[in-house]
Amino acid sequence: MSCANDLSFSVYQPTRLVFGDGAVGELVSECKRHHIERPVIVTDKILRTKTDLVSRVEKSLGARLGGVYDGVIPDTGVEVIDDGATFVKKCGGDGLISLGGGSAIDTAKGMAIVLTEGGSIRDHQGASRLIRKQTPHIAIPTTAGTGSEVTLYIVVKDHAAHEKMNFMEDRIIPDGAILDPALTVGMPALLTAATGMDALTHAIEAYTSLNRNPVSDANALHAIRLVVEFLPRAVEHGDDKIARGQMLLAASIAGMAFNSSGVGMVHAMAHVIGARYGVHHGTANAICLPHVMRFCSDELGARYRDIADAMKLPIAGLGDEATGQRAADAVAELLKKLKLPLRLRDVAVPEAELEACAEASTSDGAIVFNGKFATDKDLLLGVYRNAY
Amino acid sequence: MSFTFPSAEWATDYKRKLDENPAYREAAAAWTFGPIALVIKGDAAIGLAEDVGLFLDIDRGVCRDIKVVSRSDADKAPFCIAGEYSRWKSVIRKELDPIKAMMQKKLELKGQMTTIVKYVNASRELVESATRVPTQFLDEK
Ligand SMILES: [Fe+2]
Repeated sequence: MSCANDLSFSVYQPTRLVFGDGAVGELVSECKRHHIERPVIVTDKILRTKTDLVSRVEKSLGARLGGVYDGVIPDTGVEVIDDGATFVKKCGGDGLISLGGGSAIDTAKGMAIVLTEGGSIRDHQGASRLIRKQTPHIAIPTTAGTGSEVTLYIVVKDHAAHEKMNFMEDRIIPDGAILDPALTVGMPALLTAATGMDALTHAIEAYTSLNRNPVSDANALHAIRLVVEFLPRAVEHGDDKIARGQMLLAASIAGMAFNSSGVGMVHAMAHVIGARYGVHHGTANAICLPHVMRFCSDELGARYRDIADAMKLPIAGLGDEATGQRAADAVAELLKKLKLPLRLRDVAVPEAELEACAEASTSDGAIVFNGKFATDKDLLLGVYRNAY
Repeated sequence: MSFTFPSAEWATDYKRKLDENPAYREAAAAWTFGPIALVIKGDAAIGLAEDVGLFLDIDRGVCRDIKVVSRSDADKAPFCIAGEYSRWKSVIRKELDPIKAMMQKKLELKGQMTTIVKYVNASRELVESATRVPTQFLDEK
């Protein structure tokens, strides 16, 4: 995208990032910076009982610690958020420290709304509705993928109503994020691979989004470079703190990219597969990504050329569409190398339900900005079939 | 003859234009999710002292009624879309797609986004019908 006359966009990116090996040691200073006197940690039971991460953060907070809410579940829900907010009130907490993957961070974003606006998270569904500054929140990601520490999105399940609620609010972008590679070294290889592919998908979809802008472009391309170089290393050598750190950065930078540009068709498919069959979000993205790239390459080849460049692929002499196909092949090769499932059938998606999945993807918010028109059940079904 | 946006006369003509639009009827045939309120935010500079709501009582492709309401009544609709006067003007002139505008934070949404996105074609026809209302904009008076 050049600076054409019709270029018009806005970017709001308030999160203060604190990066470094041992950066969690900066937590108290960061709490002070964000006026948090009595922080409450928001995390899940597995992280609390099976790892020492929660106790490390507790130790770092010392006497300031208000409490630990460990009710986070993999796809956060209304009850989890509402209960968490009640817990924080009981503790007298005035700020949130989320510790974990995307769900922990999303839970704290939802809690921040309930603590400031009152009621239940159910009452606040929508986009751009919040006017006030919300409860301060510092995110500490322990996976490198969702980028939730820098984004305005939350997806919340209403388990009782069997519905998914979407939130898009500038006011819930965390105030701070601590990116400490030492906290991600214990992440299992498969989770590292899947979450890393989520970051790559954010970057590729941001770069090809209808709503892209020069800032998201710059972030997206750099995130792609980082993932391609460091994800295989982080998967193969989990204790490689350099690779871990670069992947944390890749996830946050890709998060900044799609925070302003949105994502696309891959996410519109992955959201459905995740909700219906419990497939991990990163894995679902990873499976769909090369197929969506092939589908889009006739119209988005010029964008894929930049992506292929960032991936350091040999593309001399190839036309735009062939370059898009080459980039898709390279993503598929990366999946094999990372030992991730390659097809929807490998993750127990029933073939008979592909049509229902395609139908559901047409109403996913992510489809709106896909770089090639895709808001059509039959087009989506074709890609689902290819990915099956 | 043109109608000031927003006003009761504009709302009446908008309902007429929706009634005359078979493409809207078809695109919204399965809509059973209740009324949608559109809120035009107050702007003293153009003589709009406070927020004005347009309450669209729509169901299964039929527009039963459109009323001018207060902000607080508009907020009672299951879906409420709010924005500055200039944004709505761009929507009516088809310079701004309302669903994209929500995603770009140019319009505010109360309600379930996935439902709105699913009815993208109906939203386009709502806009299409609005463009057919001869409109006098407040800032062009
Ligand atoms: Fe994602």
